[in-house]
Amino acid sequence: MSWDITGIGAVSALGSNPYEIFDGLCAGCSGLGPLRAFDAAKYRARCAYEIDDRAGPEPDEPFRASRWLRAAVGQALADAGLEGIGSRPVLVGTTLREQRSAELWWRQGTEFSSCDLHFGPTLRNEFGTPYSYTFANACAAALYALGMATDMIELGQADTVVVAGTDSITESAFGSLDRVQNRTPEALRPFDRERSGMLMGEGAVAAVVQRSGTATAGRVHAVVRGVSMSCDAHHPTAPDPEGIVWAVQDAYRRAGVTARDIDLVMLHGSGTQLNDEVEAAAMCQVLGDAVEGPLLTAIKSMTGHTLGGSGLLSLVMAALSLQKGVVAPVLGLNDPIEQARSLRLVRGMAATADLAVAQVNAFGFGGINAVAVLEKGA
Amino acid sequence: MMRPELKDAVVTGCGIAVSGVAGPGDLLAAGRAASAAGFDPETGLRGRDLRHRDRASRFALRAAEPALNEAGLSDGERYTGPEHATAVVVSCNLGNLDSVCQFADTIAEHTVTGLSPLGLPQTSTNEIAGWLAIRYRMRGPNVTLCNGATSGLDALHWAANLIAARRAEVVLVVGVEPDTEPVARLLDDGTGRPRLDGAAALVVEAVGHATRRGVPALAQLRGYARSPRSDEALARVRATAPGPISLLLARDGGPLPGDGRVLDLTARLGHCSGALGVLQGAAGVSHLREDSVGAVLAVAGGEPRDDAAAALLLTAAAGVS
Repeated sequence: MSWDITGIGAVSALGSNPYEIFDGLCAGCSGLGPLRAFDAAKYRARCAYEIDDRAGPEPDEPFRASRWLRAAVGQALADAGLEGIGSRPVLVGTTLREQRSAELWWRQGTEFSSCDLHFGPTLRNEFGTPYSYTFANACAAALYALGMATDMIELGQADTVVVAGTDSITESAFGSLDRVQNRTPEALRPFDRERSGMLMGEGAVAAVVQRSGTATAGRVHAVVRGVSMSCDAHHPTAPDPEGIVWAVQDAYRRAGVTARDIDLVMLHGSGTQLNDEVEAAAMCQVLGDAVEGPLLTAIKSMTGHTLGGSGLLSLVMAALSLQKGVVAPVLGLNDPIEQARSLRLVRGMAATADLAVAQVNAFGFGGINAVAVLEKGA
Repeated sequence: MMRPELKDAVVTGCGIAVSGVAGPGDLLAAGRAASAAGFDPETGLRGRDLRHRDRASRFALRAAEPALNEAGLSDGERYTGPEHATAVVVSCNLGNLDSVCQFADTIAEHTVTGLSPLGLPQTSTNEIAGWLAIRYRMRGPNVTLCNGATSGLDALHWAANLIAARRAEVVLVVGVEPDTEPVARLLDDGTGRPRLDGAAALVVEAVGHATRRGVPALAQLRGYARSPRSDEALARVRATAPGPISLLLARDGGPLPGDGRVLDLTARLGHCSGALGVLQGAAGVSHLREDSVGAVLAVAGGEPRDDAAAALLLTAAAGVS
């Protein structure tokens, strides 16, 4: 079975819709800026890939993740030619939910209730749907949501499912990451020898997933061939090479493809020392002697790590790459790490190529892995 | 709209670790105060195996152990089920709220240098499911649902979906909420209502897998629905019941003539948040041990601030395996 992506939406530091973001990526633009969300003096890291849409300079505002989610879902529905959500399910993947709003409640007394931690109430108010689910599946969350959406369609529970991801950065997560990174990154530079760690980004992304042949607007951005969901069961934060290889091969099995069929890989590429080494080595192992090998890129070099939604944002960008035959470069990649030497990472400027099949990686804390295989739309 | 029927998923194990409650059967005792035989977090959450885990993860691990033992999927130390075909689904809304608030306090007072380097995983709720997977080496889908008042019943639905979609043969479902200072403040509605401090675990399994292993099914997942209103969710799921409801787990109402007892778990346990649905599952399984022809209907959510209500039907599994 396969599933059609018939509507897309996204907001990030790079732009306020998927096309702006894609153009920014292909032009090598960065969403990086000075840390605005919190008092930068409390941190070692002083920059992030924020969406700086606050009404005033101080203090930070609650419910920004909810706001971007509504925007991305609204864009995706309109793009798919749907009047509204109706009783269609919405599956939201997130790492940090509305924990930033919880921090502002705890520290500054802004209004907040226990119902505000998840995204059901805001989706109900905006779109009228009682059928939403918030999954906190770390940085594989939105691709997990996609996998569970394809299951719902396969099981006959729905013909159309909206999948989405959203995250705003929190003090607790930004600070805890800052605390454990040995070096203080000034940019996220995946797979480069000089990379110094991960930096968080903000944004939301949404996609309308439909049973084949039910596209309302008649346009199919891309076709989902299969989504693998697994867990390393190995370590709370460090990735397991074997687990990642298993996840990629499981995705190929589900999609009915082999490594030779893959034309484009959207890497997780979070810019940390260990993750990049493990992911690059795993991809070398999986791709083996695939002739020439696919092009590979990593959009976190320009969007920052947009956490729960990052995998779905990669997938939406992959859909546009398949359509346009253009692949964004990995910004800041000057000297690839040893493990990535044989990989065709796009560097310097965007590459053009005839592309049919893309692979999207998303890996999260807790050893959670999701890998999707996507085919060019008709 | 989704059809409410669920197929192929049975419960083969059940365990709880809830402050003041002795075991799953004890959930059926309405209004009883904490008993001396009840679980005591002071002693029950200790141990080398729980080091560096947050309170929610420790409760979850303590509830999972008896559930897996009952399902015959543990040799006392290691998990003996199918590694890649075992999923974990955790339901929790408030589990890491204390970490989030405490870390924000620490940064404000001491900058990031005051934070523990071990705290990073606690910033995401999925830490709980991660520890369960690591403890038992469960390598299938690892899902954390944070979906408000309905989250626990939703988790059981997603477990059934993972089985129906053949992504898993076994799903360890855990609902957990720890009682911490930020949780107390967030849930304080002036009524002095207590808050749950604990976890419930159910082993949900593909009926064919349970049959092949020769283990008894304790209950069958039969129906699930979400709706804006609890009476609508309840009515839709009730329609899938083969007969009268022998136990209705709900805050109030709607028993029809012929229905049995109505029990509100929150009357005794207080706010249960994301753990409620799995606790209702555990209570339902306990009820069905004694009532081999009955049906249990659980309802959660549907309060004014909730985005929806959910309902779930469990029936006795006679003739299933």
